[in-house]
Amino acid sequence: MPTDTTPPLTAQGIVTAYRRRSGRRVALVALAALALFTTVVIDVITGPADLSFWRVAHVIVNPSVATTKEEVIIWDLRLPVALMAVVVGAMLGAAGAEMQTILNNPLADPFTLGLSSAASFGAALAIVSGLSVIPGVGGLFVTVNAFVVSMLASLALFAFTRLRGVTPEAMILVGIAMLFTFNALLAFLQYGASELQLAQLIFWQLGSLARATWEKVGICMIVLAVVMPYFLSRSWALTALRMGEDKAAALGVNVSLLRLMVLAGVSLLSAVAVSFVGAIAFVGLVGPHIARMIVGEDQRGFLPLSALAGALILSGTSIASKAITPGIVYPIGMITSLIGIPFFVSLILSQRKRHWQ
Amino acid sequence: MTFMTNVSGFVPAIAATATLLAAAPDANAEALTLTDIAGREVTLTEAPNKIILGEGRMMYSIAAISEGNPFEKVVGWKDDLILYDPDAFRKFEAAFPQDAERMINFGNPYAGDFSIEAVLEADADLVLLDVGNLFKAEETGLIEKLGKAGVPVVFVDFRRNATENTVPSLLILGRLLGEEQGALEFVDFYIAEMRKVTNVVDQIPAEERPLVVVENAAGWQNDFCCWSFGPYNYGRFVELAGGTNYASKLANAYSIDISMEGIIEADPDHIIGTGANWAEAKPEVTSTLLGYEGDPAVNAEKIDALAMRPGFRDLRAVQDGKYHSIYHQFYNSPYHFIAVQQIAKWLYPDDFADLDPQDTFDRMHAKFMPYDNSGQFWLSASAPAN
Repeated sequence: MPTDTTPPLTAQGIVTAYRRRSGRRVALVALAALALFTTVVIDVITGPADLSFWRVAHVIVNPSVATTKEEVIIWDLRLPVALMAVVVGAMLGAAGAEMQTILNNPLADPFTLGLSSAASFGAALAIVSGLSVIPGVGGLFVTVNAFVVSMLASLALFAFTRLRGVTPEAMILVGIAMLFTFNALLAFLQYGASELQLAQLIFWQLGSLARATWEKVGICMIVLAVVMPYFLSRSWALTALRMGEDKAAALGVNVSLLRLMVLAGVSLLSAVAVSFVGAIAFVGLVGPHIARMIVGEDQRGFLPLSALAGALILSGTSIASKAITPGIVYPIGMITSLIGIPFFVSLILSQRKRHWQ
Repeated sequence: MTFMTNVSGFVPAIAATATLLAAAPDANAEALTLTDIAGREVTLTEAPNKIILGEGRMMYSIAAISEGNPFEKVVGWKDDLILYDPDAFRKFEAAFPQDAERMINFGNPYAGDFSIEAVLEADADLVLLDVGNLFKAEETGLIEKLGKAGVPVVFVDFRRNATENTVPSLLILGRLLGEEQGALEFVDFYIAEMRKVTNVVDQIPAEERPLVVVENAAGWQNDFCCWSFGPYNYGRFVELAGGTNYASKLANAYSIDISMEGIIEADPDHIIGTGANWAEAKPEVTSTLLGYEGDPAVNAEKIDALAMRPGFRDLRAVQDGKYHSIYHQFYNSPYHFIAVQQIAKWLYPDDFADLDPQDTFDRMHAKFMPYDNSGQFWLSASAPAN
């Protein structure tokens, strides 16, 4: 919370200021949601096939009017990808936001803490050596491997937080150590990979929405529907935590339990996201920063806006990746940074005060 | 224009042939200097006797040009042949059991396990590498390290620029192995069989050429479509067979990831997927298992399943029964003229009514290979009943 605002003197004044802040928060979130809706619409109407806005809208509202070609393009190809971008972006944004909050570090996100590399390593294990961590999952074993290894990495991080006297800084260092460990293991597997396996691996490492299906979108939505309400219900405690561990404890927050529970939620969000789309850097890191610069630290605004910012970045990326050369699929991981960075830098430059306190 | 391009590919080959014939050196007796496919001049003090193959699939070429035992001068390889074309490996194994047994697996030349020590331990006097890995070989210092150890490296290429580099690569292998005669005979066969197609399709104007989408390794991964080739390898085979390769229009790259929507919009006349017996190394593949042990009944089921994948099933090409599948490993072998012939037959059934690629392949085996032809190497999906 910015400390330089002058406190209003009267009770009436305090209430008015509070209402104004709440109203502003709601308006900002609504604005971001509107922007997201716009990008999703653009995402769905663009592609190599030339379909007009009205035609697409018509087919979505009334699927029975579609020709087979339109049905396949809109319902099987474009909509799952567009929605996958939104849900995965939201998951990564929310995961990054809460990771930064509980670890009290602006550099924390699923990528920098090694959860994405863990998922990539799990996938590589399946792709290169055909090794399935959980037997009997059939064709899904690449995804399942990615998820399991990523969850194991979270568990390790988790176990580490239970050690006596471990500071958030130490946890970050452990996360970074995991990042490098998994990257090294990944490089090791790459050496033995064939040409086709390498092509498959690269798509994993750079992230891709091309594998989106309705089932995957559904699973992501369920995870979001479970984790987000929990985060929101703990938002006062998380906001308190950002003012300092001692202050939060003084306000009656069980800090270590809160950290543990939120870490579990974050792990679930990021493991599911990366096991479906591969490693996508930047979204989980920058989404929350953008949100923080716009609404500040109050979780009631910060959390939804982080998720929306993440979704916006990924949705924009999805549009851009189709626009480069129609018909060619580019890995989105390399485009997220190119899309998000100019916006991010302009925000940093326009912000006078320090955005991380 | 197309004709000019085709001719230019053969000019170096023909020139090289002429040089070889004129010089006719006794390769086994003295030092050998040659320029490899990477453009490097390499000098060998004597003809190599203990060769390491950077890829096991180089045996396709070595077997084709060798008169006797193709393993005679080979000490080791990478196990890609065993993993990704087990059918062909078992053919070699049956013909030369002791040699197949004797092969040392040096692993990936660009990996840590391909150690200079192992090369020296095997007393190797030549390492053959694939030009597609030239950059990696330079970057990892492999060439330099082997050079210091006194083991020369020669690059060949049957994949990256397959149609341009196959003839010179065969000539290089011929000189290295002392099998010039076999190499020349195979080159003659290659040119004659390639010409049977290119002489006909060169007359076909660009706008009349059917649009073809190549799906590299169809069924290798179940949740993504598609890997394709730009104007290289199978993309180039399609062009030489008189087709317009879809991905060549998108980018000038070897490998291109194309989107399903792009394919639907392009509405191709033919779709050609590649397949090989990958199921042994990777049980979850849904590819056609083409090769020396290819079973027509199994593959007929597999190709129909591939053609019925979401997105594919409604394509005009699939509805017309023009979803085809062909042996993937033609992409890394000197006998890709078989692929060119079969693709031409698919694209222009009337013009090539008399061309019989199966017969070409059988003749090739009878004349050059140490084992007989067998199995199945291509097929088309059945047109849906409706």
